[in-house]
Amino acid sequence: MKRYLLLILCLLCVLTISGAYASEEGKLLIWADDTRSPIIKEVAKDFTDKYQITVQVQELNFGDLRDQLGIAAPSGNGPDILIGAHDWLGQLVVNGLIEPIDLGGKEKDFAPVALSAFSWGKNLYGVPYALESIGLIYNKKLVRKAPETWENLVASGKKVADQSKRQWGFVLPQPDPYHTFPLMAAGGGYVFGENPDGTLNPLDIGLNNKGAVQGMQVLLDLVTDGIMPTGIDANTMATLFKEGKVAMIISGPWYFQDFRAAGLDFGFAAIPKIKGKPSRPFTGVQGFMISSFSKNKLLAQAFLNEFIVTEQAMYALYEKGDRPPAYLPALKKVKDKDILGIYDSASAGVPMPSIPEMASVWSAWTNALEVILNGTQQPQEALDVAVGQIKTAIEQAK
Amino acid sequence: MGRSETGWLQRLVSLGDAGLNLTIIFKIIVFGLINALTLWSVTVLGAERQYPLIVALVAGIALFDYVYLSDRVYPVRFIFPGAFFMVLMVVFPIGYTIYVSFTNYGTGHILPKEMVIEQYTGRLALSKDLPTYKAQIFKNPAGDFAFLLTAATGEKLVAADSKASPLSQSHLKPADFDGDGVPEQLGHYTQESVLNVFSALTTLQNLTFEYEGKILKLRTPTEFGFYTPKYEYDATLDALRDLETGAVYFAKDGNFTSITGESLDIGYQTTVGWRNFKKLLTDRRYSAPFIQVFLWTFSFAFLSVIETLGLGLLVAVLLNDPTLKLRRLYRVLMVIPYAIPAFITCLVWRGLLNTEVGIINNAIILPLFGKAIPWFQDPFWAKVALLVVNLWLGFPYMMLICSGALQSIPGELYEASMVDGANGWYRFRRITLPLLLSQLTPLLISSFAFNFNNFNVIYLVTRGRPAIPGSITPTGATDILISYTYRMAFEGGAGGDYGLAAAVSLLIFIIVSIITFINFKSSRALEEVPQYE
Repeated sequence: MKRYLLLILCLLCVLTISGAYASEEGKLLIWADDTRSPIIKEVAKDFTDKYQITVQVQELNFGDLRDQLGIAAPSGNGPDILIGAHDWLGQLVVNGLIEPIDLGGKEKDFAPVALSAFSWGKNLYGVPYALESIGLIYNKKLVRKAPETWENLVASGKKVADQSKRQWGFVLPQPDPYHTFPLMAAGGGYVFGENPDGTLNPLDIGLNNKGAVQGMQVLLDLVTDGIMPTGIDANTMATLFKEGKVAMIISGPWYFQDFRAAGLDFGFAAIPKIKGKPSRPFTGVQGFMISSFSKNKLLAQAFLNEFIVTEQAMYALYEKGDRPPAYLPALKKVKDKDILGIYDSASAGVPMPSIPEMASVWSAWTNALEVILNGTQQPQEALDVAVGQIKTAIEQAK
Repeated sequence: MGRSETGWLQRLVSLGDAGLNLTIIFKIIVFGLINALTLWSVTVLGAERQYPLIVALVAGIALFDYVYLSDRVYPVRFIFPGAFFMVLMVVFPIGYTIYVSFTNYGTGHILPKEMVIEQYTGRLALSKDLPTYKAQIFKNPAGDFAFLLTAATGEKLVAADSKASPLSQSHLKPADFDGDGVPEQLGHYTQESVLNVFSALTTLQNLTFEYEGKILKLRTPTEFGFYTPKYEYDATLDALRDLETGAVYFAKDGNFTSITGESLDIGYQTTVGWRNFKKLLTDRRYSAPFIQVFLWTFSFAFLSVIETLGLGLLVAVLLNDPTLKLRRLYRVLMVIPYAIPAFITCLVWRGLLNTEVGIINNAIILPLFGKAIPWFQDPFWAKVALLVVNLWLGFPYMMLICSGALQSIPGELYEASMVDGANGWYRFRRITLPLLLSQLTPLLISSFAFNFNNFNVIYLVTRGRPAIPGSITPTGATDILISYTYRMAFEGGAGGDYGLAAAVSLLIFIIVSIITFINFKSSRALEEVPQYE
């Protein structure tokens, strides 16, 4: 008897739950991942207190946000606003999931690289709030001053490296195109070439040109000199750095809290120049985007323009997120040297390409890096293969 | 209903004993609720025009009503729940996958055509060369809104009832009572505070006002602007026309393309016939690595079954000895690899086998052999690593089923053979093994099918790497069919080609079915249990 009652209760529950989280008129629903949702919840509370409009923040996995939007939004169950990275733009725009945003004249208050990262064609699709990029993180105990040129890095690395003690001078995650790109970019390597109107040309790939090969050779020299181990992934690298077994790594602000908690005395600097040319890392920009299926587009726009694009809100977002703000008035208030260092790296960096064709680049590029670092193929050969694979993948996708 | 329950339940039971048929009452409640739910769902779905779903739902519930209310098909009541969920959870997903494999569903082709057209025609662009107006919002008791608009030039407009006109011509006059320059009233509309405006934005955003042939709309809660539609849909041509440039984009094969070859950003989902299958089977770029990956998938599954069976059987036979001390303790220890989630085990092994800093190399291999094994860099050792991890994960299962099967072998057979002078190995080979295998064959076949598609182990331990240098599409040396598919579908081209992924899944399904079928047929020979009198 009790079992049947339970069944009836379940059926009734199904009725009530079905409408829980969807874009409703007069309320705002924001989707964010676990690092950003606590930040936005606090900022949104102030908005609710002032304007009496409920702002609901729903937490989803970073990897699921994009895909869930594609499923939920067209069926009416999507959010009004979503917080994400600029390289999602390509996929979201061609899937018809996000709306162009009207900043209402506040464009001049943002870092130019942030605005260009969130632009697609002639439209702006997101309100940027944070920048990030990678740089050289060094252990101040093992390396007194951050090296400015690659030769200095090699010299510092040689001093620290000791095979018998399992100590190394330098590590970057392998095989990882995102972290290896700055070295390839220094000599002139690039992913997609730019058209005259600023859009990216997926048929012009610069991953196997002279600069890119030079970057890989630089990395291989580190391995032969015994300064860098092979086959280390990002988590292992962070652990080794925390244990003081590595002097310098290339990584981003995501590990700062971890390193500080471990009591490490570290510093952040731009990646050293190679042969006099700056090593430009990929810049990632995070921002707010409005769903095309939102029922409250103007309200969402007003929330972003009037409330988020203010010094207080942007500064609060920076404080919790540990990333330099893209909003210049808030940036002026930042005093942390490491964060300012990230801003300099990011503004001098290359925005990560957001066109959907980027998806075919990562696998091929990662494979090329792997065979190069294993010694299975020469850099030029491996990169030529990768570019061939990418071109194949892009062509057949049309 | 337990007789030991007290209170209201007992009273309910006594009512039943008194002649009130509780079953009927219960049936009425349940059926009433379920059919009411169905009717409600039909109205909701009808509003969203989801007709196939409505038909399926009504058919399902009609069947449910018939089975449980009619006495003629009484036996079906026991099969119905299982069959219902099997159709829902197994048959329907398979059917849907087959459908998707004939479409272009993927990145850039997610929305149905109508939605894409709706988006483009609904997009209004701000006319940048026309003035914007600062707006003051007023509301009347009936809930309608009116606006007093002031341009940068000082020109004032009044917007109400879908029309805007200059202040001088409007019948609504502003009234400023407290002389602060900001009117509190506009005709019979009173000023709205900014706070209240925010809550009403959802209604306000859809209001349009016609002025001199152009459209005025709210741009922000305090500003108005002129908006023009950018695109227009031509139903006869089945095309979208760009009103600014005059370019026409025809709907073709999932994209709106102009005659010059340019296409609009947003594409739509549509059926594309056999295109996905043709691509897979005839395009060399896909089919070339296919063979290599298929061979490794087959070997991986086959070797996994053999090795786990070998170790599992050995341990089961050893633990079968009743004279072995601490038997129970050993059994518990042996089951631990099975109890830990495979996900975690794979990640831990990935760390253990790390070439430079992993403990296996540093503590065991290096001291013994003087040289570290390049576990994830060399294709051969990567395959060995996978087999080792799968052995760790799989042997407890085999041990458990072998233990069970061993119990079912009658002890008299062993006694009789010992009388005849058979030694341990002979007994094992002639008695234990045949009887075991005849019982285990279906389980071995299902283990083979499972490992054929064992995405988790491959992806978590090696990610399919190391890469095969020079392959036409990025392929790994330890990729199995399913991880190769995953990469092809989700990390190729423009990301997320679900139609192609569905087509490959279908092909894999066919391959696995054929292999399983052949296995079953050929293992009939093992099914022949020797007859004993």
